[in-house]
Amino acid sequence: MTEHTLKFFGEELEQLKGEVIRMGGLAESQVSQAVRAVAVRDVGLAERVVVEDETLDLLQHDIERSAIRLIALRQPVAQDLRRTVGALKLSLVLERAGDYAKNIAKRALVIAQADPEIPLTRSVQRMGELVAGRLKEALDAYSAGDIQAARSVWNRDEDIDEHYNSLFRELLTYMMGDPHTIGACAHLLFVAKNLERIGDYATSIAEIVPYEVSGDEFLDPRPKWSSVEEPSKANGDYP
Amino acid sequence: MAVLSFPWKRGARSPQQETLASVDLDRLSLVTAAIQALPDAILIVQTEGPVGNSPILVVASNGAAQELLRIRSEENRLVSILRHPDILSAVENTLSFGESHTLGYDTGGSQSRAVRVWTRPLSADSRLSALVVLRDETDARRLERMRADFLANASHELRTPLASITGFVETLRGHAKDDPEARAHFLEIMASQARRMSHLIDDLLSLSRIELNEHVPPSGTCDIVALVQEVTDGLLPVLEARGASLELLAPSPGTALAVGERDQISQVVQNLLDNAIKYAPRGAPVSVTITTDAAFEADSAAANAAALRDAGGGRLVLLFPERAHENRYVQIRIADAGIGIARENLPRLTERFYRVPGQKSGDIPGTGLGLAIVKHVVNRHRSGLVVESAPGQGTTFTVLLPSAPRSESPDGVTKPS
Repeated sequence: MTEHTLKFFGEELEQLKGEVIRMGGLAESQVSQAVRAVAVRDVGLAERVVVEDETLDLLQHDIERSAIRLIALRQPVAQDLRRTVGALKLSLVLERAGDYAKNIAKRALVIAQADPEIPLTRSVQRMGELVAGRLKEALDAYSAGDIQAARSVWNRDEDIDEHYNSLFRELLTYMMGDPHTIGACAHLLFVAKNLERIGDYATSIAEIVPYEVSGDEFLDPRPKWSSVEEPSKANGDYP
Repeated sequence: MAVLSFPWKRGARSPQQETLASVDLDRLSLVTAAIQALPDAILIVQTEGPVGNSPILVVASNGAAQELLRIRSEENRLVSILRHPDILSAVENTLSFGESHTLGYDTGGSQSRAVRVWTRPLSADSRLSALVVLRDETDARRLERMRADFLANASHELRTPLASITGFVETLRGHAKDDPEARAHFLEIMASQARRMSHLIDDLLSLSRIELNEHVPPSGTCDIVALVQEVTDGLLPVLEARGASLELLAPSPGTALAVGERDQISQVVQNLLDNAIKYAPRGAPVSVTITTDAAFEADSAAANAAALRDAGGGRLVLLFPERAHENRYVQIRIADAGIGIARENLPRLTERFYRVPGQKSGDIPGTGLGLAIVKHVVNRHRSGLVVESAPGQGTTFTVLLPSAPRSESPDGVTKPS
């Protein structure tokens, strides 16, 4: 406990950010695996995704606790405050995205047992890969603090929506053609909708990057602390 | 972070130890240089205290690791460069319990790489240390998948024309045996089916070859204007046959230079022009416009996009170029005044064997792989591909190729990569 109270504030913030990025990695993995479970009808994989969602929830609670503790004890201002709040926001977004991934996995369980097999899962898989890729880019941008990359993600929102619209119509056509497929197609519709929402969350993540980084208030660049370079700072204050 | 800097302590030494120390230094330099030169990505990670209480830091990385994981100099937390949950678990386990692990993962994104990861414990000073090795196995995996895909596609798509030919063989052996008119007619159909199969095999092989190297970025320079002129010259007979015309609007040769592989870009232009000519009504012009120093517009809220949407079509970015906000491009726009494509069909255009429902492809149906080939080549070139279309308003494809840096000189032949 004593070593924590002596830790540099900057390091605590880095630690918080690290936990958020770690949570991001798990959320990414959940989305990819849920999509894969739908595509290849892997029941075991779908079940693992559903179970693993609990870990995401726990991580979110931890991060929230740490962020609030940071604010209460350190009373950060300006960019530090934005970064702390940014981390908290991101954890909430990631938890929601994870929930959608869990829902996709649950539907995968149903679809896997459905008969007949629908050829449209290929289209859903493609949309899923697109969304997973977008999520990755958003998290990469956050991890690197790269505003340009974040803007690039933010600009591209519409292609996911286009995929969704196209998929929607295809599924309707398919259902109209063969009523036996209505059950499975309805589940795929929900999966597509969930993917579209995850795509929206990727955009939300991208928005957090400029919010964190662009500080109007401090004109001089803040020195970057790291425990490797400056391990000996005994107090928690920063210039 | 210095390349392969090892934090090692030096205390006071006796003269004897000093000599030994300098020998050690030479050997150490050699070993360090060897690790730096390794094609596999190497990371050395350490943690100060128990895993979970203190962060895992990357204390050394070689060139291959810096490239694969895009490590920027100021980062040293492992989670900033690798956040895959399975890998982090494996590293933590190795640090805490000294167990070795092997696992695989996909990097994700548009050029996803298949990577195999090994973690090994390292016994150093009082800190917990581990070695992480990452090997890019994309080539091997792709090869496997290409083979499987090719076989699946080939057997599926070749089945129909083959069945048709077999059927006609039966007919010619049977009741059409003595009917010269029917014979001539059926033989003509068989010949055309055989041609179709041949084209299909060509395209499938082409696609396989492209996909195999899709993750390897091209490095040559091509003169786009010269390239397009060559392709359009080759298409003159087809244009004449269809009574179509082609207008080319371009700067002078040698001014529009892009980074890319000549043959592949030629194929892209060829396929897009083939489509434009095929789906355009008789006599209608196809236009090709080349511009240099273009910027990529992601904003589909542009005025023309809205107008296209109102007409039941739209503007869709099929492929986003890499680092779009930083780069300038050589832009090729190929437009036809054909029947156009409805909005809901736009996202699937580059899918293999996808045909827009209800659209006739004319007397000679294509292989269905033209746009898939375009997509994979454009993806390999980290370039942009945009389609704008509306029913009754024709279709325009735009390819944005990264401009070659100013210092490069154009060559007719691409440099070996």
